[in-house]
Amino acid sequence: MLAMNKSKILGITVIAIVATVIISSCKDKRSTGWEYAPNMYEHIAYDPDQKNDNFKDGKTAQLPPAGTTPLGFVRFDYPNTKDGYEKAGLEVKTTLPQTQANYADGKLLFEHFCSPCHGVTGQGDGLVVAHGYPPPPSYSKGNSSRGGAMKDLTDGKIYHTITYGLNAMGSYASQLEPKERWKVIMYVHHLQTL
Amino acid sequence: MRSFSLIFKQFSRSVLLIACFAFVGTYAYAQGDAVKGEALFKAKCTACHKLDQQVVGPALGKLITDETDDKFLTKWIQNNQALIAAKNPKAVTVFNQFNQANMTVFADLTDGDVANILTYVRTEWKKMSATPAPGTGPAVVVDKGPSKIIILSLLGVIVLAFIVILVLNRVITTLERLLAKNNVTILEEEAVAGESVDRLAFLKKLAKNKKFVFFVLLCGTIFLGVYTFIGLWTTNLHQGYQPVQPIKFPHDLHAGAMKIDCQYCHSGAYKSKNATIPSLNVCMNCHKVISSAFGSKTASVEIHKIYDALGFDPATQKYDTTKAHPVQWIRIHNLPDLAYFNHSQHVKVGKIKCQTCHGPVQEMKEVYQYSPLTMKWCIQCHKRTNVDFKDNAYYANLQQVHDLLKDGKQVTASLMGGIECGKCHY
Ligand code: HEC
Ligand code: HEC
Ligand code: HEC
Ligand code: HEC
Ligand code: HEC
Ligand code: HEC
Ligand code: HEC
Repeated sequence: MLAMNKSKILGITVIAIVATVIISSCKDKRSTGWEYAPNMYEHIAYDPDQKNDNFKDGKTAQLPPAGTTPLGFVRFDYPNTKDGYEKAGLEVKTTLPQTQANYADGKLLFEHFCSPCHGVTGQGDGLVVAHGYPPPPSYSKGNSSRGGAMKDLTDGKIYHTITYGLNAMGSYASQLEPKERWKVIMYVHHLQTL
Repeated sequence: MRSFSLIFKQFSRSVLLIACFAFVGTYAYAQGDAVKGEALFKAKCTACHKLDQQVVGPALGKLITDETDDKFLTKWIQNNQALIAAKNPKAVTVFNQFNQANMTVFADLTDGDVANILTYVRTEWKKMSATPAPGTGPAVVVDKGPSKIIILSLLGVIVLAFIVILVLNRVITTLERLLAKNNVTILEEEAVAGESVDRLAFLKKLAKNKKFVFFVLLCGTIFLGVYTFIGLWTTNLHQGYQPVQPIKFPHDLHAGAMKIDCQYCHSGAYKSKNATIPSLNVCMNCHKVISSAFGSKTASVEIHKIYDALGFDPATQKYDTTKAHPVQWIRIHNLPDLAYFNHSQHVKVGKIKCQTCHGPVQEMKEVYQYSPLTMKWCIQCHKRTNVDFKDNAYYANLQQVHDLLKDGKQVTASLMGGIECGKCHY
């Protein structure tokens, strides 16, 4: 008779343990857990990353309208063609003061944005290349696919490449503003001499 | 004796000579060396060509195998721009077909080098077309099932349950013995009355045992107390939150193994309040070319999600914006609207590393929230961190104010930031 009770009690214990496990597993990593006043986490003012039904494509981060120039940007009216590239190569020159500070900034920006592919020393041996990306030509020893040696690339040609990209290389216009591009170019010129 | 060795010498010499000629002969007869060709191809051509797929230039496997005019190919590869300038009809057609994209001039490649490359491409393409094309379409999603940790923890729970059951078993046997000693008579009476009554009676007995009741109540109170405390303590605390993202973007691979800097993708962190999630054009800087994991021949499902979201067709390398739709990343770190946190203030002015607040992101396969993001967390760090004034343009004004005050002069509101747009405008 007591044996019966024993099995009941054991049954209840097992149920209790299972229930505890289930309840405590409610706090899993896929959920934010309990929230007090959750509407504070659903922003009324839109974040750039947020969904936004006011725009046709549903994004808050919109591109600037075509033809406008954002504050602090300098227009670069050379088309994305070989002619535009050659023309920019002749006409566009840096206006950035060639100071040590700008050079140091350029080095850092180059290491953050370009070295994954071009390598820290510009030899086209970055870590992304070791993971299967086709190696870009060396700045000091290689040849440009648009003719000429890489070490002879001028200000305007490099600026054109950063702005529009070239073949496999994408455009860096969305990641670097004009001033930053000029800083990077300062450092690329140094790498061309290596 | 001597003449014999002389004859032998002459004989061996001529044999060696013939052997040499034979070797050179077969070497010249073979069109090119595929091994040398492979090295050249990988060093000079893979930036724009693949054998089985169009990248910047056409897919070369079939094209070079089908082309019979090796002279044209050699001329093209050594100096395609001269051919185009000379208005060679074949060259001009290809050039226009690819929107006048330029192929590099390889004047340094000799005829022999080009022959090596052609041999490599042809033998490699033969091998590739012999084996059934490995997954040019998106690969099948593999369901990995429950993770190891879940299985292990389940096993742990089961073992724990067994231990608890064993201990309880002992307790019950002891109780049984006690009861048996004290209430033999009662038990016998109850045995006559039937089972349901029996059980109740036993519970009543237990309820009368003060020590036991106290023990149960104590356990209950502790359990509920702890549970309530944890519940209240973690309300609004998202630490450890790790939602499933629409694309399984691996930080450990990009920021860890390939050491791509955080700024490459989260460049907003240095300039604005928001660190921002990169738009997909940033991914396409590399994934235009890379459509599978390194060393794998099957296309990656996750990378194809990028293509789908952009309406990009890897076969033609063209975008179809009508098919594009934004990827909805799930936000992990999220302060309530009542608090304002600015990244550039901390990253650019304060020079704090991302990892101080976000943990070892470069080792995370999936990002999770590392810090609690509570007010206490902000305050504690503000109390303990010294401000770095050296070469810090942000504090130029402050220093100027300081110097003016020291000289006993007046300070205008403009020096305190009264003309900065952000102080008055949102
Ligand atoms: C995703 C990899 C990648 C990154 C990152 C990258 N590049 Fe490139 N880059 C390439 C490749 C590939 C080429 C060769 C393109 C070709 O000739 O087809 C190239 C070519 C170039 C050229 C030569 C262009 C010419 O006229 O021939 C310049 C200059 C250049 N890159 C500068 C930069 C700068 C500056 C950055 C950083 C802002 C950068 N690249 C970042 C892959 C990359
Ligand atoms: C900078 C990018 C680039 C590199 C590097 C490159 N190619 Fe090309 N290639 C192209 C493009 C683009 C085309 C298409 C024609 C055009 O627009 O000029 C092409 C076309 C071709 C063709 C087709 C010609 C035809 O008649 O259809 C062959 C063959 C070829 N490339 C071989 C090579 C070989 C071999 C190498 C390496 C030694 C190489 N390419 C390196 C960009 C490149
Ligand atoms: C190649 C691009 C890339 C690089 C490099 C990169 N990230 Fe990310 N990061 C992303 C993307 C895409 C997401 C959104 C998807 C996700 O949460 O996994 C993200 C998400 C995050 C989040 C979570 C955002 C949220 O929703 O709260 C943090 C934190 C983060 N990254 C920090 C870092 C840090 C720190 C580094 C440098 C060690 C870094 N990232 C490098 C692309 C990148
Ligand atoms: C600088 C180059 C680069 C950028 C930028 C980049 N990736 Fe990658 N990614 C790679 C390379 C190279 C690999 C393959 C590495 C390997 O397998 O070793 C890869 C692999 C991946 C994989 C794993 C594929 C698999 O099946 O294992 C995913 C998913 C991925 N990337 C998504 C993204 C997303 C999303 C972005 C944009 C936020 C992005 N990548 C930006 C270079 C890049
Ligand atoms: C002082 C601590 C701190 C540092 C340093 C920091 N973050 Fe953050 N990060 C936060 C907080 C707090 C949030 C939540 C912000 C919010 O919800 O408004 C956040 C949110 C994010 C987000 C997602 C939301 C957004 O703002 O777009 C990303 C991505 C991110 N951080 C990346 C980075 C990167 C990359 C770095 C380094 C360059 C960095 N963080 C440095 C504290 C920090
Ligand atoms: C890892 C340490 C750290 C954490 C965590 C941190 N901060 Fe800061 N914070 C700093 C430092 C250092 C500064 C001073 C930077 C500077 O201006 O030189 C600062 C400055 C600020 C300022 C500007 C103060 C001023 O007027 O100059 C604000 C606002 C701020 N933090 C908000 C926050 C909020 C909100 C959080 C929590 C979500 C937070 N911080 C978390 C280190 C931290
Ligand atoms: C001292 C506070 C203050 C500062 C600093 C300030 N503003 Fe204003 N601004 C105002 C006020 C107040 C108004 C509203 C005036 C009105 O409605 O007549 C305003 C109006 C504006 C408007 C017109 C908005 C509209 O819809 O009519 C613009 C644009 C503007 N400010 C831009 C700026 C810019 C850019 C800066 C930084 C260079 C700046 N402001 C700095 C206080 C300030």
